[in-house]
Amino acid sequence: MTSTEEQGEKLVRTVCHTNVAQGCSLLAHVRDGAITKIEPGDFPDPRYRHICARGLAAMKLAYHPDRLKYPMKRLGVRGEGKWQRISWDESLDTIATKLKDISERYGSRSLLWAMSGSGCLDQAYLKFARCCEGTFAGLIGFGDAAGPCGDRVSFGVDWGERYLTDLEKPGLCVFWGNNPAETQIMGIRMLMDAKERGAKVVVIDPRFTATASKADEYIQIRPGTDAALALGMINFIIEQGLYDSSFISNHTVGPFLVNGQTGLFLRERGIVPGRSDDHYLVWDTVTNEVRRHSDQGVTPALTGVYKVGGIECRPAFELLANKAREYTPDKVAEITEVPSDIICRLASEYSQRRPVASFRGMGLQRTFHGDLSFRAITALAAITGNVHLKGPQPPVLNRRAFLQAGGRCAIMPLLKIYDAIAKEDPYPIKALWIAKHNMLNQIANAKLVRDKLLPRLDFIVVVDLFMNASACYADILLTASSFLEQTDLMTPPIGNPGVHNYLQLQQKVIEPLYESKPDLEILTELAQKMGFGEYFNKSAEEYIDLLLSSGHPSVEGITLEKLKEGPVQVRPYPVPTFSTPSGRIEFYSEKLLGLGQELPCYMEPLESRRRPLAQRYPLSYFTTHSRYRVHSVFANVSWLRELESEPVLEINPSDAEARDIRDGDLVCAFNDRGKVKLKAKVHQGIRPGIVNVTQGWWPQHFAEGSHQDLTHCAINPAQEVVYEPNTALYDVLVEVERVREQ
Amino acid sequence: MAKRYGLVIDLERCTGCQTCIIACKMENNLEVGSGIRVETVGGPSRDTPEGTYPNLRMHYLPIPCMHCDEPPCLPSCPTEAIYKRQDGVVLVDEEKCNGCRECLETCPYDVLVYYPEKNKVWKCTLCAHRLDQELQPFCVLCCEMEAMFCGDLGDLSSQVSKLMDQKNAFTLKPEFGAKPAIYYCPPKPRQE
Repeated sequence: MTSTEEQGEKLVRTVCHTNVAQGCSLLAHVRDGAITKIEPGDFPDPRYRHICARGLAAMKLAYHPDRLKYPMKRLGVRGEGKWQRISWDESLDTIATKLKDISERYGSRSLLWAMSGSGCLDQAYLKFARCCEGTFAGLIGFGDAAGPCGDRVSFGVDWGERYLTDLEKPGLCVFWGNNPAETQIMGIRMLMDAKERGAKVVVIDPRFTATASKADEYIQIRPGTDAALALGMINFIIEQGLYDSSFISNHTVGPFLVNGQTGLFLRERGIVPGRSDDHYLVWDTVTNEVRRHSDQGVTPALTGVYKVGGIECRPAFELLANKAREYTPDKVAEITEVPSDIICRLASEYSQRRPVASFRGMGLQRTFHGDLSFRAITALAAITGNVHLKGPQPPVLNRRAFLQAGGRCAIMPLLKIYDAIAKEDPYPIKALWIAKHNMLNQIANAKLVRDKLLPRLDFIVVVDLFMNASACYADILLTASSFLEQTDLMTPPIGNPGVHNYLQLQQKVIEPLYESKPDLEILTELAQKMGFGEYFNKSAEEYIDLLLSSGHPSVEGITLEKLKEGPVQVRPYPVPTFSTPSGRIEFYSEKLLGLGQELPCYMEPLESRRRPLAQRYPLSYFTTHSRYRVHSVFANVSWLRELESEPVLEINPSDAEARDIRDGDLVCAFNDRGKVKLKAKVHQGIRPGIVNVTQGWWPQHFAEGSHQDLTHCAINPAQEVVYEPNTALYDVLVEVERVREQ
Repeated sequence: MAKRYGLVIDLERCTGCQTCIIACKMENNLEVGSGIRVETVGGPSRDTPEGTYPNLRMHYLPIPCMHCDEPPCLPSCPTEAIYKRQDGVVLVDEEKCNGCRECLETCPYDVLVYYPEKNKVWKCTLCAHRLDQELQPFCVLCCEMEAMFCGDLGDLSSQVSKLMDQKNAFTLKPEFGAKPAIYYCPPKPRQE
């Protein structure tokens, strides 16, 4: 028994749920049913013991004086702020009646569940949407979908960081639009360890960040042009012969012949008589004939043009080399505004300071063609052999059993809900259920959503802890329990660099406060009223047991009881190295042929300063993440507000001077979509031509408007083909002016 | 020989995450204020660099009470509320403090906090209550970057003594002659 236990204190281990996809273990001290303190939870491997200011401050969310205490229904018009306390019974009866009514009038798919959440049981909302045969929208399109679009093509997984960020002994760490010191804290300590062991650190970012302050070299690139930089480096490396032929031959589609007429990979079918399967073919330089790559003694050609059955064919690497040839150092310097000597030197270091760890940030993929930047950087890593083949594999849980429902639901990309609500395209959305995220604070083009979309909805349910930008538009507002008041199973955040591969139990630390309920309980009670209670008949712990019972080797021997003692490492299991169609890294993709993006290429951002729109709105507008918030969470926590009291607009002194703006002046950033007023922070760390507001502030923190009133919801068709379109949050033009005293 | 507790803070590793500030609030139940602050060494405001691109520079500087060998605050206190323990930790006796704030004027490091509602001065205790249980100060325990180390500066074989030696540790404002027990390892020069 520890000394604290003797003093009547109980220690409960849980997992930070607010810090999306970080999975930090927390140890809560509980006395008389209340949390007195939170400290970092120990990890079997101390490298994975992590904590940040937000994780410690999580208890302040639970005990916040502004917590919603009971369910309420709206009085007056939406957003007016008039509410009446109602019972859970009345609130759920009302919801059941309304959902059934709307379903009958407009079809069941007109019911939309929009939710986030990183716990396994958060998917109870998906299960519920299925039971209703409604529509479900996840959070990935809120700015995180372009990376997965890129990596699904290259690696066949949503986040390929595990392949690119081996931190054991890197010679060089390159951060592309990535600021883990402030946003992905799990990675930064390992980076500093690697730096201490001698790795050189390069940061490529239009903003000089805390991560950049640790760099040996900082490159202030023009935003949205990283694909051009990577292609310029690829060109230099190929021209200088610095590529890794063996890695390209063995692990990428580089040697596979591409049919010059169709653009498709050349397969055995139709080429080799009698063969009907789909083997990829290469040109064997030993026998000078077309062979299967897997045939013995084959040394495949990576370059050249070959005639096969009268058709001109080229190895995919040759096509990449041809594409890259368009990106000469001078041209890339013109596009990126990075001097050509730096481009060439960095390229040379990529091939010579091996192994290189490449970190691709979320900022990088928040321009309109962010997926192409991801693909270009992956191609650069692949041709230089800087890919780590043994990454952690995710646990395989019994999700199918957990998600079992009486029906199926439609999955709608986030960016598609605008037209669904506004134009009933492809079908009407009439009811909206928001849970586990502050959707109306964070959605792009937020003014349009508030003014034009919300009035078209017949019914809005919000489940939250606070009266925030989403809750205030609810018709029925349900009071959620914080993550410290509910149990969930947390899978390892293996998409992030430097993170662990452990399953963890988010244990309930305290009983739900006030009249709040865990989300699963809310849905369970409502399911009874809706008539599908048989699909919601288990407790959180019983569902976790069910999830762990997949029988898959990755979770062999992992039980709820074991997880109560601490994190348990996911068991290694054999998998194909890459889950692409070819089983290799694909820098050439058949899927994107029709769009001219079969190879990574550079495309000018949608709202760049080189577009005509820049004549009216000459400044690029970023909404980066802050170390004081996780999106909009913690913006109301006084401990953290003391460290950052109000939003500011970062602007370079040259841009500020041209607009007669001094540090601390009230300014207005605006475009055709909306405006936001806040104080200016003038400094040299931000590139001329860019302004930045850290995102997640609530509307009441701004003098007027909100940071998302200026962003747009444009859809990239290539991303739709691969996965789902991403919100290009950092691909926005604005003008800024000083607000004159009245 | 008596212990001489102190901290070594590696400025190369500190990323300015401010977790130490929240940790201090947590351990000491502080709604407002903290026993440690994190300054930006660089530009005109927090998180901004000095210089112009490509020569931008910035680092962070966590500042707790320095637990000086010769604390200037100690003799300035008219009620003798400030005292130094055998192990070097400098403390304010809340019972004796009359809220006169003389100490705030004399501290070269600006680390004492006045709480008007209590009319008392408070400052970092180096978590003396934890040291007494052989636990690390809570800010050190919570330092995500493993940039802060606590130990016996008098013991040449301790981790802190070794770090001071290996990394050319320095103290802040030595010209005041207070002999601080908080040592800093400088940020590394950039690698070509």
